Amino acid sequence: MIKFILRRLLLTIPTFVALMFVTFIAIRLVPGDPIEVRTGEHGISPERLAYFRHELGLDQPVWKQFIDYVWHLLHGDFGVSLSSNEKVLTEFLTLFPATLELSIAGILFAVVLGVPAGVFAAVKRGSWFDHTLMGAAVAGFSMPIFWWGLLLIMLVSEGWHLTPVSGRIDMINFYFEPTTGFMLIDSLLSDQKGAFLSALHHLVLPMIVLGTVPLAVIARMTRSSMLEVLSEDYVRTARAKGLSEFRVISLHALRNALIPVVTVVGLQVGGLLAGAVLTETIFSWPGVGKWLIDSIGRRDYPALQGGILLISSLVIIVNLLVDLLYGAINPRIRHG
Amino acid sequence: MADTPSAQLSSPAGPVAAFWNAFSQNRGAVGGLIILVTLILLAVFAEWIAPYSSIEQFRGMTKLPPAWAEGGDKHFWLGTDALGRDMLSRLIYGARISLFIGLAVMSVSVVIGITLGLVAAFLGGVVDSVLMRIMDLIMSIPSLVLAILVVSILGPSLTNTIVAVSVVYLPNYVRLVRGSALAEFGKDYIIAAKVAGVGPIRLMFVTVLPNCLAPLIVQAALGVSNAILEAAALGFLGLGAQPPTPEWGAMLADAREFIRSNPWIVTLPGLAILISVVSINLFGDGLRDALDPKLRRS
Repeated sequence: MIKFILRRLLLTIPTFVALMFVTFIAIRLVPGDPIEVRTGEHGISPERLAYFRHELGLDQPVWKQFIDYVWHLLHGDFGVSLSSNEKVLTEFLTLFPATLELSIAGILFAVVLGVPAGVFAAVKRGSWFDHTLMGAAVAGFSMPIFWWGLLLIMLVSEGWHLTPVSGRIDMINFYFEPTTGFMLIDSLLSDQKGAFLSALHHLVLPMIVLGTVPLAVIARMTRSSMLEVLSEDYVRTARAKGLSEFRVISLHALRNALIPVVTVVGLQVGGLLAGAVLTETIFSWPGVGKWLIDSIGRRDYPALQGGILLISSLVIIVNLLVDLLYGAINPRIRHG
Repeated sequence: MADTPSAQLSSPAGPVAAFWNAFSQNRGAVGGLIILVTLILLAVFAEWIAPYSSIEQFRGMTKLPPAWAEGGDKHFWLGTDALGRDMLSRLIYGARISLFIGLAVMSVSVVIGITLGLVAAFLGGVVDSVLMRIMDLIMSIPSLVLAILVVSILGPSLTNTIVAVSVVYLPNYVRLVRGSALAEFGKDYIIAAKVAGVGPIRLMFVTVLPNCLAPLIVQAALGVSNAILEAAALGFLGLGAQPPTPEWGAMLADAREFIRSNPWIVTLPGLAILISVVSINLFGDGLRDALDPKLRRS
């Protein structure tokens, strides 16, 4: 097991180096000189230019600049945002809890609805529920979620006035300093009446929008995995022993059917973050996805570079954890 | 369908007929195919089918609702947008753009994917490791974030959308081709071909490749729908096709501010994206089931 973990860890190192290299090169390929971007249209005297070039290390050979870049990254220095003059890492960490809260809510929504729906469809294979669910699942993972979000805003927020259109909480009535960064928890800690409900209200639509694609994938996956398991011998044995149908399905079958589902949930993380970019943009949700898109609009390349690096590192780490977890559950992977 | 069991026994169906027999059993897949063919026809013959040009602006006719709704005009069947352009015409021309993006991305990533996948499988060693690490890297960056990175370097345009989305989906093809090629390697017919003196290029493309095609075709079909979705998302974020191109995602972005006053301007482009993506996915699922029962998700 330790050998497997070590090998898997070693394999991630080149990926990280390559990732740093890509973001390093990317910022150099962007049209526009980094100094010109800062000085604006009026230009700059040659002495000042030389000074800035030296200051930013641009007078060094490229390989040395890369080493410097990695050195800074390893010390937690991801550069300074051009628009806010804040450290990129600080900005990212301030905004990230909002994205995390939304993502957790989205994936919970998907699992809580998707697993039972998939199980039920498998058990009642060929029923109208099965057909409807599978049809809905195709629509679900074909869904352009940016449109789905607008549609839900149109219906639920504008039409029925059930939920707010944007943001994380009603900022006019509630204000408190973030302690955890999770609005649901902070609002409870704040002891303000109605704050938690307001936060929950704001979360519902973005959660549904972000959770729709994973929901479709999980429901489909659970159904097919369940169908496979239900035809196994040990399920027949369990039935033959005279166990109740509920026990057979929920204990004997589901436990085994869930293994591939867990992997699928883990692999959704990358897709979830991509979805968060769109969801946050639609709902003005102040997370890292919206921040990234805004950075493009502001031509804030350090923020863009740092943000992409941080988000991708996160995905690499989560995928690594999923792999290790899967190896722990399934010995065949370990020795593969 | 008319084949009797005895007829099937006497002459086994050819691969195309066998495929069609399996495919046509799947009602969803056939439905998807019909919609898809309709969309392709609309896209190809847009000049003749669309009532107006996609950029012609009708003064005083802005934000008309569809013809059947109150205040609609029978000359503008699906209404007009904020600049008085006919929605139906824009949607029809939009089909051309979206399908073109989907097919272009698919072709580029399939061609490069096959080449890199086969090279990785055949050469092995350092080349294989380096290629696969690069693919790991591409896969570790969330698809849309990677596309954003590529577009922010190259600048937003239709061509760059295609480049960006092709990069995003490349690893799927490389890994798939490499995997199936490696699986074929141990088999006897490869050894026989080598013994017969077949050169490496011929061995790659003529001997091995046809045996890896089934999963590749399925992946390619589903890749088209993913590419359309991804490109529409970029268009929606303002990083894809630029106005006045009638790209569905960009149309949605333009329509955002009318969400309260003119819901149909928001509804129609998204519906067009959803319908085309669903039809391709249904078609792709049907392909999967018909081409290779082993791949069937049940």
